[in-house]
Amino acid sequence: MFAVEDLSAAYGPVKALNGVSFTASRGQVTAVLGANGAGKTTLLRTVSGLVRSTGGSVTLNGKDITRTATEKLTSYGLSHVPEGRGVIAELTVVENLRLGGLHRATGSEPMPIERIFELFPRLGERREATAHMLSGGERQMLVIGRALMARPTVLLLDEPSLGLAPRVVAQIFDLLRGLVQTEELTVVLVEQNARSALSIADHGVVLNLGKVVASAPAAELAADEQLRHAYLGF
Amino acid sequence: MQQFLDTTLGGLVLGAVYAAFALALCLIWRSTRIVNFAQAAMAMVTTYIALSLINVDVPYWVAFLAAIAAGFVLGAVIERVIIRPVEGKAELNAVILTLGLFMVLHGLTAITFGVQHRGFPAPVSTSAISVGDTSIGITPFGILTIVVVAVVMAGLVVLFRFTDLGLRMRASAFNGEVSRLLGVRVGRMLTLGWALAAAVGAVAGMLIAGGDLVNPAFMDPFVIYGFVAAVLGGLDSPIGSVIGGLILGLSLSYVTGYVGEHLAPLVALGILMLVLLVRPSGLFAAAAARRV
Repeated sequence: MFAVEDLSAAYGPVKALNGVSFTASRGQVTAVLGANGAGKTTLLRTVSGLVRSTGGSVTLNGKDITRTATEKLTSYGLSHVPEGRGVIAELTVVENLRLGGLHRATGSEPMPIERIFELFPRLGERREATAHMLSGGERQMLVIGRALMARPTVLLLDEPSLGLAPRVVAQIFDLLRGLVQTEELTVVLVEQNARSALSIADHGVVLNLGKVVASAPAAELAADEQLRHAYLGF
Repeated sequence: MQQFLDTTLGGLVLGAVYAAFALALCLIWRSTRIVNFAQAAMAMVTTYIALSLINVDVPYWVAFLAAIAAGFVLGAVIERVIIRPVEGKAELNAVILTLGLFMVLHGLTAITFGVQHRGFPAPVSTSAISVGDTSIGITPFGILTIVVVAVVMAGLVVLFRFTDLGLRMRASAFNGEVSRLLGVRVGRMLTLGWALAAAVGAVAGMLIAGGDLVNPAFMDPFVIYGFVAAVLGGLDSPIGSVIGGLILGLSLSYVTGYVGEHLAPLVALGILMLVLLVRPSGLFAAAAARRV
């Protein structure tokens, strides 16, 4: 169980997160939705220690990981795929994947790179290409594959659909849904593309101006016309 | 023919020396994306440390290793104390700091050791090798220089291309935030990058000083020539740095041998301008990667 409790963060005098709470269960996708500036990316960056929290807590399987050094989180089983498809452009596909496997969850077995190529055959075909040669969809596959190399139990994904064609988004989300089931991952999916995100999510959390304005099963959120019009844009 | 052979061999040795220095610049660039203008001064300091040891009868090779160790520590301390506070800020801040450091190290060395020229020994002969009755334009120390630079280059290629540590160092330099998210201790990698670069710089200093005279300014020309060699080969590429050094060494040797010594700095400047105009990333740099 991954739980965020009353988490707050600020950029100088501006409060970016204001007492955000939610839980995410194993084998489920929790979508964090909201408009630009709602605090979605800040939420993930605060969980990962890239932004310092000003209050609240984050727990993973009962262990308090609030303010844990960013570098240590992979050893606790938490992987964060940042916004903007954070491949290391100068490294090859294989090097990016190798890098992902260097700091795994404590006690976990190394993930064979070939397993990633089974999940994403396109990456296997481009294994020696440098990452800057990849298409947007391939880069997204690479960062997800690289995160999986660390054998996470919790995967934080920030806007994986950003800038991708709808067909590629559907492909990535299908893969993600499959991974959640086969790897028993807890996925926290931050998305502006609320319709697509809710289609694969089990639970949804809607943020507005740094606060949770709704938290409910994904199907319920998708059916709430008023909420969709007010916060989700569809 | 004899002159051509002598000039070529001399150029190879000179090129190996430039290459050693360019390798140090390349290492810091690879690990922190900073051009370190204090590299020559750091190498000068470690050479003086070695000279001090040799002067109290410490064997040459022990002093050589001590200079490398001193360089390693000096590089690490400089990164942690001077460079770290400006990392992540405007790139020019760190560059200006390295220029300041260049002057500080110069001054401190002059105060500590004096400004007079001192002889620096070589571990092997610095007299030209003779084949029959003819002496050829290379010395045993010149051959040693080429071998040492080749070994250092090979070691760096193995480190960066085939080891996990090298992969962590490259990743930290290219994208610190993503590397942290992947569990890499980026700060430690940056310190290690500076330490390794200063150790390689110490090797360069010892090779440049061998069988010659040293004073606090003896490494200064290598700021320019080492930089030209690194840019020529590609600041990002250890192999490129070495080949850039060799091309520069040979070019300057031919100019000096056939035209005149006074033209050498001008030719170096011309090469630098040509590379920056035609192929700014250097002859052996990988294709420029877009930040994504």
